[in-house]
Amino acid sequence: MDVNAKQKLREFLKETLAKLADHKEFSDSESLFISGRLDSFSMMNLIMHLEESCGIDFSDLDFDVGLVDSVDDIEALVDSKT
Amino acid sequence: MSTPASTADGAAPGRADDSSGVNPWRRFLAIDERENFIAWSQTLTGRLLIYLTAIVAVATYFPWWESALVVSAAMAAAYAPNFRNPILFTATWVAAFLEMGLAENRILRDIGIVLQQEQVTNVAPIALAAAFLLLVMVGAWASLDFVRRRPKSFLARRPLVTLLAVEVLLFSLTTLDVMQGLPRVVLWSMLVVLTPYVWFLPYAIVDQRARDASPPLLQLAVLRPFWSPSYLPFGKGAAFLRKKLSKTPRDVAITQLKAVKLLLWSNALLAVKTAMAWLFVEQMQIPSVELALDAFLGSQPYPITVGWSALILSTANYALKIAMWTGLFIGIARLAAYRLPRGCWRPLESRTLMDYFNRFHYYFKELLVDFFFVPTFFTMFRKHPRLRMFFATFMAAGVGNAIWHFTWEIHLLATMGLAGAVETYTSYLFYCVVLATGIGISQVRANLGIRPSSTFFGRCYSFLFVWSFVVCLHVFGDESRNHTLGERLSFLASLFGVS
Repeated sequence: MDVNAKQKLREFLKETLAKLADHKEFSDSESLFISGRLDSFSMMNLIMHLEESCGIDFSDLDFDVGLVDSVDDIEALVDSKT
Repeated sequence: MSTPASTADGAAPGRADDSSGVNPWRRFLAIDERENFIAWSQTLTGRLLIYLTAIVAVATYFPWWESALVVSAAMAAAYAPNFRNPILFTATWVAAFLEMGLAENRILRDIGIVLQQEQVTNVAPIALAAAFLLLVMVGAWASLDFVRRRPKSFLARRPLVTLLAVEVLLFSLTTLDVMQGLPRVVLWSMLVVLTPYVWFLPYAIVDQRARDASPPLLQLAVLRPFWSPSYLPFGKGAAFLRKKLSKTPRDVAITQLKAVKLLLWSNALLAVKTAMAWLFVEQMQIPSVELALDAFLGSQPYPITVGWSALILSTANYALKIAMWTGLFIGIARLAAYRLPRGCWRPLESRTLMDYFNRFHYYFKELLVDFFFVPTFFTMFRKHPRLRMFFATFMAAGVGNAIWHFTWEIHLLATMGLAGAVETYTSYLFYCVVLATGIGISQVRANLGIRPSSTFFGRCYSFLFVWSFVVCLHVFGDESRNHTLGERLSFLASLFGVS
């Protein structure tokens, strides 16, 4: 995942958190879903975002929330699939 | 379909650390946030008081010996982390076998029904139940071993579908003409003992593919765990539990303080439910929905206000029942140091139907999301985002909901036969379809960025909309099977003055 794509991902997550009235900063390694900061509805939107922007096919993955729990997790997933 | 919307404490996202604006009463009750309480609860006196308070709180639901056993097991698991898995395993399976022997329970009742039907008198239901319980335990262990060796097998990829197929197969076999007498009783016993585990085992199977999968002992320990011997996985499976495990003594102390608070809250709700029964049923003579329906069908209907009162009271009772029991189950799990989100979190503050479903019965929703919503979402209508979201929601809140409740009353297959059980289920199917459609629309609206107003009037409108929907729908979700869909529709129409 290049720097640009990562920046866009962070912006997407920041906007999603803001919609839930969560304006706190988050680090790349910070849990977003398991910690409860983001909900599964946001997760589905993130998945649609990743499908569109990175072309990942989630249907052939054994999906687990741990795969997209933090920016680092998402980066690892994208790198393994592209 | 929403969420893990609650945090570990049951707070909504974005509000977890927001203590400003919290009213003084809530701040007073927040003992799990005060350092002196947290330190004190790590002392011997503190632990003893937590232990005794928890036993007293659980004993309002169960016999004293059972309460002491469950609370002791939970606290032992919390204080002896090196022996956590064996303690949990022993507690869960001892509780399962003791429940068979010492209490009237659904499984023994369901086996008894078929023993009576087949006029088999020389076999005790408890012997069959215990034998098949042992078989379930061994079978669960074997299936976990199998999926570890064959992670691409159908069982590993679609555990719930496989287990439901086994249920259908077992039931089909019980209907064969050659299956009379003892063979039918044996098959039926296998079916009813297996049924609750169908909703637990998939979590354990899915976890086998995780890099940090829990050992089989823990997987077996949380199949119908001792803190919630029901059909619904409160605490989901081992994967979720290990993420929620408090590890330091301080975190364990905080989690146990939260546990005691939740257990006491559950008791407070029980008191409210008892008081409501005294006031509205005994003093004001408000009938049950069942009675109001019977009176309506017998052409001697109660006045419309009484009909509405019956419906609202029944909905309130149902909501209290869910809140009480989920509080009890999660409270006990928290004593074992699992900092689980609450199962029912301020449902009256729901702003949308999606929000309601998420707040009202969190673990039921999670089960449906994990095994119906997610698989559907990843495979169906991927080119049509709104339809994709709606359909996945429908599969969870509609189809998954209907299947779970059908298995919950599986004994009706024995007493009514398949046709009778399905026919009397029509009303609940209607309930599922309407609920799923409502939640699906709510989900799609949220996806389009349409959110309820946060003004005072906006909140009032949200409350009225959500709870009017829930109350009206309750006519069809009532668990009795005595009235048809048409009769219930007519009754609801009569409450609006339409005859």
